[in-house]
Amino acid sequence: MKHFLRMFIQVCLYFYCKCLWRCLKFVVRKLTGRCELQRICYNTKPGAARTMKIEASLKGSKSKRLQTSVSVHPDAIEKTIDDIMELKKINPDINPQLGVSLQACLLQIVGYRNLIVEVEKLRREPYDSENLQHEEMLLKLWKCLKPNSPLKARISKQWCEIGFQGDDPKTDFRGMGLLGLYNLVYFAEWDTEVAQQVLSDSLHPKYSQFSKVEWEKKKFDKAIGYSFAIVGINVTDLAYNLLVSGALKTHFYNVAPEAPTLTHFQQTFCYLMHEFHKFWIEEDPLDIMEFNRVREKFHKRILKQLQNPEMALCPHFAASESLINM
Amino acid sequence: EWYCFCVLILIGIDEPSSTFRRKTIFTHLKCFRALCCKGPPPPRPEYDLVCIGLTGSGKTSLLSQLCSESPENIVSTTGFSIKAVPFQNAILNVKELGGADNIRKYWSRYYQGSQGVIFVLDSASSEDDLETARNELHSALQHPQLCTLPFLILANHQDKPAARSVQEIKKYFELEPLARGKRWILKPCSLDDMEAVKDSFSLLINLLEERDFEPSRM
Repeated sequence: MKHFLRMFIQVCLYFYCKCLWRCLKFVVRKLTGRCELQRICYNTKPGAARTMKIEASLKGSKSKRLQTSVSVHPDAIEKTIDDIMELKKINPDINPQLGVSLQACLLQIVGYRNLIVEVEKLRREPYDSENLQHEEMLLKLWKCLKPNSPLKARISKQWCEIGFQGDDPKTDFRGMGLLGLYNLVYFAEWDTEVAQQVLSDSLHPKYSQFSKVEWEKKKFDKAIGYSFAIVGINVTDLAYNLLVSGALKTHFYNVAPEAPTLTHFQQTFCYLMHEFHKFWIEEDPLDIMEFNRVREKFHKRILKQLQNPEMALCPHFAASESLINM
Repeated sequence: EWYCFCVLILIGIDEPSSTFRRKTIFTHLKCFRALCCKGPPPPRPEYDLVCIGLTGSGKTSLLSQLCSESPENIVSTTGFSIKAVPFQNAILNVKELGGADNIRKYWSRYYQGSQGVIFVLDSASSEDDLETARNELHSALQHPQLCTLPFLILANHQDKPAARSVQEIKKYFELEPLARGKRWILKPCSLDDMEAVKDSFSLLINLLEERDFEPSRM
């Protein structure tokens, strides 16, 4: 009986999605004199809620022009807006604000898509020890995190001190490629104090809780905390999944008044690293073996936060921030 | 009956998002089956396994691909994770442990309750790494909680030019003398030939099933 009911509900939903919803939209347009896009712009204040509704409306439209407007090139946005206004028979002189609002929303929508493409490109690029730029970035990471301790050799056990798994960090970048390295370097370079604090804590987070004898015994056991670099790469993985699945739309549409860029993504990474560190200490797991469990719990928490359309994870971006040249 | 079935599949296919689509089709199939009183399929036996090996040997990638997930964005495993890997005649609940130097000492904590071991090694690794892998395998073979269990040893990364053959690995790891009397399978594998990997796992499942029947033989 339960199965039958579920099936019945899904059949009803299907018919609603296909036929009723369009009839409803037609009726409302006749009643209010405004098309859906106008209703959204007038009734919702600027922010993620408005942009996401516009995006859903454009994607679900029966007109091909509207459907494809979400994936145009940023330079073609103005022309696209003109086309949309013409298609919906909206007079730009009577509704000047509409064009501006639509343009802002479309810029964010298109920017998010392009950011996904850019991030994917970086992720697919593997770390190459023959590439001087990659090597320089890796050495910069060391210098920012450990300014007082010079690196003795490119391949050395010292890398474990900042949380890499072996004596050559190259192998740890698998999966996230250059994206992992870029994020770590951004964190270490622009949020240096926080990064160094997180690194230091990760090596011995429970220092205050042990007696001197116990501490001496556990001090050289590196698994007492977690590996900074590996966790960083895992957090990049988390951020990447959030971006690609669209969960970060709420955050970016709220904090980036123009198109979201790579810098915004890296700043989000810094925030996630810091939050994860605080979460790890709060959870107080036995040791690094519980990492995946804690990571999953953290992921669920962030997803829940992002479901609120007013949410902005870290609202500290300047409106126009030029891309840092790496 | 068939007409209803087709309508249901069509509705399922119409959904915009692909994961939702999969779930919808699956729900419809279940409902349809329940409606036609066919009932759910008989449950498959489940076995608890532990998967170990050095970092970079390919444990996470192999298990992900066996679960039909993409091995593209797999990052280094730190800590441990559990995966339920489905096969035609069994479900393997695999505890996969990270292989970094600093966490290998914690492997033994997860041995309890295991019914089998999967050891993955990189056939194309350096001499030093291969020696470390050998030591780890020997410790596992002699560990009190694992010494009676069947071992599946996968010589991974066979697609790399520097990969050593199965004969070389068998000789280097001294498997014949050391693992005498124990049940073990050594197979070459690589991510681009998943059929061979599935066959190797089928052999392991046979060993596990044999074990199941043993007590009743007495």
